Amino acid sequence: MNNRIIVGISGGVDSSVTALLLQKKGFDVECVFMKNWEGNDDEYCTAEEDYKDALAVCDHLGLPLRSVNFSQEYWDKVFQHFIDEYKKGRTPNPDVLCNREVKFKAFLDYALELGAEKIATGHYSIIDELNGDFKLLKGLDPGKDQSYFLYLLGQNALSKSIFPIGDIEKKEVRKLAEESGLVNHAKKDSTGVCFIGEQKFFKEFLKKYIPSNPGMIETIDGKECGKHDGLMYYTIGQRKGLGIGGGYGKLEAPWFVAEKDLYRNVLIVAQGHTHPALYHKQLFADQIHWIRGLVPEDLSGLSAKIRYRQSDQKCKITELSQDRCTVVFDKPQFAITPGQSVVFYRDNECLGGAVIDRRK
Amino acid sequence: MPYFDHSATTPIHPEVLNIITDVSKNIYGNPSSVYASGRKAKAIIEEARKNIAIAIDASPSDIIFTGGGSEANNIVLWDLIHREKKHVVTSAIEHPAILTVLKKLEPMGITYTVLPVNPQGRIDPEQLNKSIQSDTGLISIMMANNEVGTIQPINELIEIAQNHEIPFHSDTVQTLGKIPLSVREFSADYMSFSAHKFYGPKGVGFLYKKEGSPLNPLIIGGGQERKLRAGTENVPGIAGMGKAVLLASQNQSQHMKHLEALETSFIALLNRECPIAIINGSPTHHLPGVISVSFPGNKSDILLAKLDRIGMEVSSGSACGSGSVKPSPVLEAMGIPESQNISTLRFSFGRDNTQEDVTALVMALNQFTNE
Repeated sequence: MNNRIIVGISGGVDSSVTALLLQKKGFDVECVFMKNWEGNDDEYCTAEEDYKDALAVCDHLGLPLRSVNFSQEYWDKVFQHFIDEYKKGRTPNPDVLCNREVKFKAFLDYALELGAEKIATGHYSIIDELNGDFKLLKGLDPGKDQSYFLYLLGQNALSKSIFPIGDIEKKEVRKLAEESGLVNHAKKDSTGVCFIGEQKFFKEFLKKYIPSNPGMIETIDGKECGKHDGLMYYTIGQRKGLGIGGGYGKLEAPWFVAEKDLYRNVLIVAQGHTHPALYHKQLFADQIHWIRGLVPEDLSGLSAKIRYRQSDQKCKITELSQDRCTVVFDKPQFAITPGQSVVFYRDNECLGGAVIDRRK
Repeated sequence: MPYFDHSATTPIHPEVLNIITDVSKNIYGNPSSVYASGRKAKAIIEEARKNIAIAIDASPSDIIFTGGGSEANNIVLWDLIHREKKHVVTSAIEHPAILTVLKKLEPMGITYTVLPVNPQGRIDPEQLNKSIQSDTGLISIMMANNEVGTIQPINELIEIAQNHEIPFHSDTVQTLGKIPLSVREFSADYMSFSAHKFYGPKGVGFLYKKEGSPLNPLIIGGGQERKLRAGTENVPGIAGMGKAVLLASQNQSQHMKHLEALETSFIALLNRECPIAIINGSPTHHLPGVISVSFPGNKSDILLAKLDRIGMEVSSGSACGSGSVKPSPVLEAMGIPESQNISTLRFSFGRDNTQEDVTALVMALNQFTNE
């Protein structure tokens, strides 16, 4: 048993404060910067700037920094799947897979090989241990809770990880960074998919990997009302960028993507945020994962999120097998999106989740 | 001093540092200016040029100061765009400052043939002979490799080039001070050197160009370096490099003996303490003190990090590739299997290393490969 913790540092304020807090507690802290994306897509990738920030922080704190390249692992285990899902007209969540395959697998293995006792990351979540049983809890800051992205972790990963800022609020994290003179204390939070960057590049990026197939846009009643550039560029519930004015149709209200008809290559839209075609009470999901390994004995008082930052929605699991489940919500849900994850909670505990396949 | 990465760079020699400091403090003139301070600066760089020329048996007018080895390589390769014959022959184990440049030149009509190497990293001169085309305008083959230390049969290669009347360039960045270099015996048209590889300052180097061999400038402007490399000269850097070359040539045989002794004991100890170790490269045609070793089953990035933790600095593959677990293209070209490739470290000894350092290094390797 040693005292060594290896921190996955990104150059952002959260992972920097993670390193800072562990150092203050007297751990033998080493930092590792992961490079998970390679290519000539430098215009999208901020890795070099991020590395410089990580180096400045480590230099300031007097901590060793190494960099490691997991771009092969990321490509094989995360990106291929991301592309395959888009080809199927679904909207995948690469961050969830990145956590399971890269940060809490490739990086964890690397850190253990380097003789670390545990790894630490700047995730806003809490790991709660009782007699060797590890629970994943929501982060203290309700606006920042990241348990949604961590639902694919298992007992092994949780037993070897710590999230030192999980019980701190974001503004406090920034304050700690500023007090300690960390250069990135005011750095903007990253948004969007890490290898694409800002949302505005998204279309251009996807075009490089998937041929686009333009087609028609129809209303839910089957009337043609415009053209789309390729179904993969649209997400269920999307409002902007449809090229249909709010004035089209009977109402002044904006249009939303309700469905993708892959067979006919048609994008189906509905008018008004309250249109019933945008709401479903039931979903079918597969690839179930339970954080504590087994199906929870008690599934009462369950709630779920069907997207990051959604508030908990009361629901019941009505059918459950090894890999699949049916979820019925108390209230109809807006834009249930195939490819995204449904993540289950009881109060503050994240129990696990599954990938949405269909809705009804 | 537990620094074992002298092929990446070397610590500056104290006497070199003295000269750089002294020149930086006292000599502010522009060597192109005609008044006294300019003349002083000019005299300093010409003194350095003379010392460098003497060290390699060249004439001072053969020496062109550059911003380092990569720039020297670039000047020679970019000259191809001015030539009629646009085909280049090179080798699979060249530095990226050759192979990446050739790739960049491809859309400009430059074509090239990459010669394979044998498992020890050597080129078969017969292969070079066969690869020459009617439009071959340059042969560029490094004298000694940075990753495995293998020395090429350079005189045979040059002879072939001369028989075909093709200019020959050699990236000789790793060689100065480690193997005798005389342009009387070794008649390349161009050679690239970098001061920080022989205890000189970083960011300065030189290109040797044989009199009469064609060359156009890459950087154009004020016409410095006989119109071959524009830009106000790095006077302190050049002065330091001149001193570093002088010291390297004065101490050469002693330095080589020192490196050979360290290498011999390193290998003997390694064989005893770390029997899994495999030494790559050529045992006979080899730069002293540069040793590539594979530790099967131990990934190089892990070993590197563990050595770094105790302050021992070595390299995996070439320094430019660190932070990546990609297999080294040089070892790949030598036919080394991937599992062995990604378990390889390069040790390169230098003037401050001692027998005690080497013993401590092997003990650490023994410990880390048994964890």
